[in-house]
Amino acid sequence: MQTTTPPARSRVQSILGGDSIQRLLALGALVLLLAFFSVVVPHFASTNNYIDILTATAVNGVLATGVTFVIITGGIDLSVGTGMTFTSVVAGIVAVNMGLPLPLGLLAALGAGALVGSINGALIAKAKLPPFIATLGMLYVTLGMAQVISDVHPIYFDQQPAFQQFFMAKPVIGIPNIVWVMLGGAAIAWILLNKTILGRYTFALGSNEEATRLSGVNVDRWKIIIYAVDGLFIGLAGIVIASRMNSAQPGLGMGYELDAIAAAVIGGTSLSGGEGSVVGTIIGAFLISTLRIGLSVAGIPDQWKSVITGLVVIGAVWLDILRRRSRA
Amino acid sequence: MVDPLVEMAGIDKSFPGVNALENARFDLFPGEVHALVGENGAGKSTLMKILSGIYRRDAGTISVRGREEEITSPHAAQSLGISIIHQELNLMYHLTVAQNIFIGREPRRGFLLDEGALNARARQLFDDLHLNLDPRTRVGALAVAQQQMVEIAKALSFNSDVLIMDEPTAALTDTEIDELFRIIRQLRDQGKGIVHISHRLVELKQISDRITVMRDGRYIATVNTAEAEIQQIISMMVGRTVFEATPELPEQPDPTVVLKVKGLNLGRQVRDITFQLHRGEILGVAGLVGAGRTEVMRAIFAADRPESGEVTINGKPVTIRAPSDAVRHGIAYLSEDRKRYGLALGMDVEVNTVLASLGRFASSFGWIRTGATRTAALEQVKALAIKTPGIAQRVKNLSGGNQQKVVIAKWLTADTDILIFDEPTRGIDVGAKSEIYRLLNDLARQGKSIIMISSELPEVLRMSHRILVMCEGRITGELSAAEATQERIMTLATQRESVAAA
Amino acid sequence: MKFTRLTSLAAGSMALALVAGACSGSATPAPAASGAPASAAAAASAATGAASAYTAPTDAGKAKGKTIAIISKGEQHQFWQAVKKGALDEAAKLGVTATYQGPATESEVDKQLTMLQTALSNNPAAVCFAALDSKAAGALLQQAQAANIPVVGFDSGVDSTIPVTTVATDNIAAAGIEADKLAALIGDAGKVAVIVHDQTSQTGITRRDGFVNQMKAKHPNVQVVSVQYGAGDPVKSADIAKSIMTANPDLKGFFGANEGSIKGILNALKETGKEGKIVAVGYDSGQQQLDAINSGVEAGAITQNPIGIGAKCVDAAVDAINGKTLPKNIDTGFYWFDKTNINSPEVQAVLYK
Repeated sequence: MQTTTPPARSRVQSILGGDSIQRLLALGALVLLLAFFSVVVPHFASTNNYIDILTATAVNGVLATGVTFVIITGGIDLSVGTGMTFTSVVAGIVAVNMGLPLPLGLLAALGAGALVGSINGALIAKAKLPPFIATLGMLYVTLGMAQVISDVHPIYFDQQPAFQQFFMAKPVIGIPNIVWVMLGGAAIAWILLNKTILGRYTFALGSNEEATRLSGVNVDRWKIIIYAVDGLFIGLAGIVIASRMNSAQPGLGMGYELDAIAAAVIGGTSLSGGEGSVVGTIIGAFLISTLRIGLSVAGIPDQWKSVITGLVVIGAVWLDILRRRSRA
Repeated sequence: MVDPLVEMAGIDKSFPGVNALENARFDLFPGEVHALVGENGAGKSTLMKILSGIYRRDAGTISVRGREEEITSPHAAQSLGISIIHQELNLMYHLTVAQNIFIGREPRRGFLLDEGALNARARQLFDDLHLNLDPRTRVGALAVAQQQMVEIAKALSFNSDVLIMDEPTAALTDTEIDELFRIIRQLRDQGKGIVHISHRLVELKQISDRITVMRDGRYIATVNTAEAEIQQIISMMVGRTVFEATPELPEQPDPTVVLKVKGLNLGRQVRDITFQLHRGEILGVAGLVGAGRTEVMRAIFAADRPESGEVTINGKPVTIRAPSDAVRHGIAYLSEDRKRYGLALGMDVEVNTVLASLGRFASSFGWIRTGATRTAALEQVKALAIKTPGIAQRVKNLSGGNQQKVVIAKWLTADTDILIFDEPTRGIDVGAKSEIYRLLNDLARQGKSIIMISSELPEVLRMSHRILVMCEGRITGELSAAEATQERIMTLATQRESVAAA
Repeated sequence: MKFTRLTSLAAGSMALALVAGACSGSATPAPAASGAPASAAAAASAATGAASAYTAPTDAGKAKGKTIAIISKGEQHQFWQAVKKGALDEAAKLGVTATYQGPATESEVDKQLTMLQTALSNNPAAVCFAALDSKAAGALLQQAQAANIPVVGFDSGVDSTIPVTTVATDNIAAAGIEADKLAALIGDAGKVAVIVHDQTSQTGITRRDGFVNQMKAKHPNVQVVSVQYGAGDPVKSADIAKSIMTANPDLKGFFGANEGSIKGILNALKETGKEGKIVAVGYDSGQQQLDAINSGVEAGAITQNPIGIGAKCVDAAVDAINGKTLPKNIDTGFYWFDKTNINSPEVQAVLYK
């Protein structure tokens, strides 16, 4: 039998090593960037500033973790940003307007996120809408619903002082809890993706959906579950952003989805599905906020910040393609 | 009399515009290999997809172990002990071998996957099959034959009583087929029922107990293999008596050398490849799967760029950096995976025909002259006798043989002189095969030069003026049509380097 | 707008004097504010701002029952909600019908134009319009003129000769006052930074320039070290504010040019524990800002009179329908408010939560 080890330079074997190398690349870029800013930009190299970068990553990190799941399935979620706004408003309605205990409000936010995700999943799996369209629709629906249920008024968590106190407290090495929430969420996501059946089907769906279906996997149901998990992270992001603002702001959210997708892509998650990693995504999210804050501390004008961020996204993906080409 | 495992009767199935099955039937007993044959479009695959829950029947009954069943999904079929191995590999390339085999049935420890148990079970499965495959290898990194073995292992892993194999041998070499048959016999002896769909009638004689012939969606006859003649089966398949006459070899080619390859190297699969191709010649390339035949051709075509080597076309050295260079120099590569690399499946015959030469059909503003593309497509449909309702038909709705013809039409329209065929008749039924052979002969006669990679020795022997044999990335020998025999080719194809050195 | 801006640049304090002078003749709710000493340099004064000498109509006249289409720059921010309320209440009072629409964000120029187009197609008696991009709206405004539909500009107004009047806050003057206040609070020397919602909208440009230029002109020892943009997003603005603090450890003051920007600054001060150590001044209201002013974390803010803007819009439209001549600009006034006067009724009347 010709069933020995595969040829060393086979096309797909480079994919095999693909995400781990992309993760290393992203990590290397992050380290280089931090080193560069630390040397070149006055005042950048300070513990407080590093903590600021961590803090600034929290919201995008959580969103990007969620969206990583659906991107690995070969899908996309454009509703994560406004979905986040919606869930934060739900938390506000429950914990402030209805005056229920705070934990119930937070649970409601997670529930609202899971609901948004499940609806996305159902539209995609059952109604067979392309993910781009389904979640684009949900982007508007959640933004609108956030304003409808809040009557376009921000909701302040003043009567729930424990909320911000807890999430913004810095019990461990001066790092606020929202950063630990992000990292904890990422750890759970890593376990889900790599150690559970959910993660297995996430990769399988992105790799070959039809083959997965023919293997007897209830593809539709798992798709809905995967989008619901994405939704849970949307809800978590809603909690994180509300805790930072000590309020739910119904007008926010547009644009956050693009940062989240960019973080995943920089981290080596393939938009065509089948590959990706949470570790890469978190590194990607850190890379984006390091870049933003570094340029901001350096006093680079806003318009150039956008240009440079865009070039980094393009560069990251292009590097990955170059690397694969050179190995193929 | 043993009760049948499966009985299907009065099965109807229609797709928009097509009656795929009409009053079809089939039965399967435990401990038998039942071959299902018929030309492409005869309905074999459709019938088996109904049995395995992929399609729903429009009418008829299905009984499994004497009980009438509704098979509503692949999952339902599996729980009835019915497994199918599809002709088109259905694997998740990003996952490992073991992960593929047990997809949907992952061993777990509570909430978490038990990867250790998963790999152990897969290893056990391979041990039982005497296969040497690491369960932790990513499937995408395997050769096609190995991927096929994963599919088979996966189907076997269900402990199914009914195993349907749709063209399982299409991509396998003879030794691999022997291995597969060994496994099939082993399963048959355990009392399982095996449905074997194949175009290779010769191998049915070796492996099957009964043969059912289908034609045009209808049941034709079931015969005991021991009593059946191949010619008889073929005539039932095509509905007429066909003499499998060896087509006459085209006259000896022009001695002009059109393509000369010297010292081509790329990794382990392409090593110091030197050969030449004459005008009007069909050059067969034989070897086992993994011998590097496809890789050599891809390197010539610059689909993968070679590390070293010279290519001379019509006496002039040329530099080929990309497939577009190769096409410009009149070389076409027709991949064995037509659907993936050869055709824009969702587009029509006309578009596919002119796809490689659109520049010629476009005005200076990039406006496509549709009149000219229509004419070109109609010409090719006529010249190659492509069976299609019209040039506006989507290519994905054509049969395998006609799809292959569309690929050929594309390159003829692009006016290429050197055609490299990689397994030109893979997945094409008997009737269409001889048409493809005739077509290759015609092309050679018209002065086109053809390289034909094939894993079917009779095909290579029948079609080639000369035969190159490869093993482990090297050319291990060259045989003229006169001196070539199956035995000599196999000897060269297994001439491993270590052996040769010893 | 250009004209207003130039005057302010040339003589900030003179403009203020004019504004202050105009107070005496102002209509609601300005009369209460007129009592306050509005000297430009007086840091701790209670209220500054003005409204022009324009008397609102008391009945609809010919406009009775007719429709006034109001196209604003947004509908979501509290500010626009207050404008809407002012407009609709005034319309109800006068017995006219007002419709109110605005795009989701202040960058959606095209959506706003579609709204204006649709409004004009319904042939309203008058149109009130706060252009996101005056030039882009040119053709539609000419269409309105041709159809004899009077156009009332409001907020950032319409840069064109077509509108019969513009109902707006003098943002240049208001931001100039912010500069004076902030300078006074930090002892007229040291580094300050500005966070603006965006660098393309009229309010963003005028508030930024009004502040920066007033600093340059009147407070040479105060250095504006950084002007950055946070899209009005309290979280993004907070991250930016923190990076500015990182780059300038000796920063003494912040100016947030709209509600989202000052919220971001307040969040940043809270997160870095610099509350009370860096002086912050803001714009508009909103609960978080009001709380911060009450607790002293924020020194004070400029509030516009959104309800007044809405009401005056309708008033001006009714006058236009009745053929009355209107002044070129109707200033709806603004207030500087801080801990000392936040609870005064005249300030409370224009604040929103």
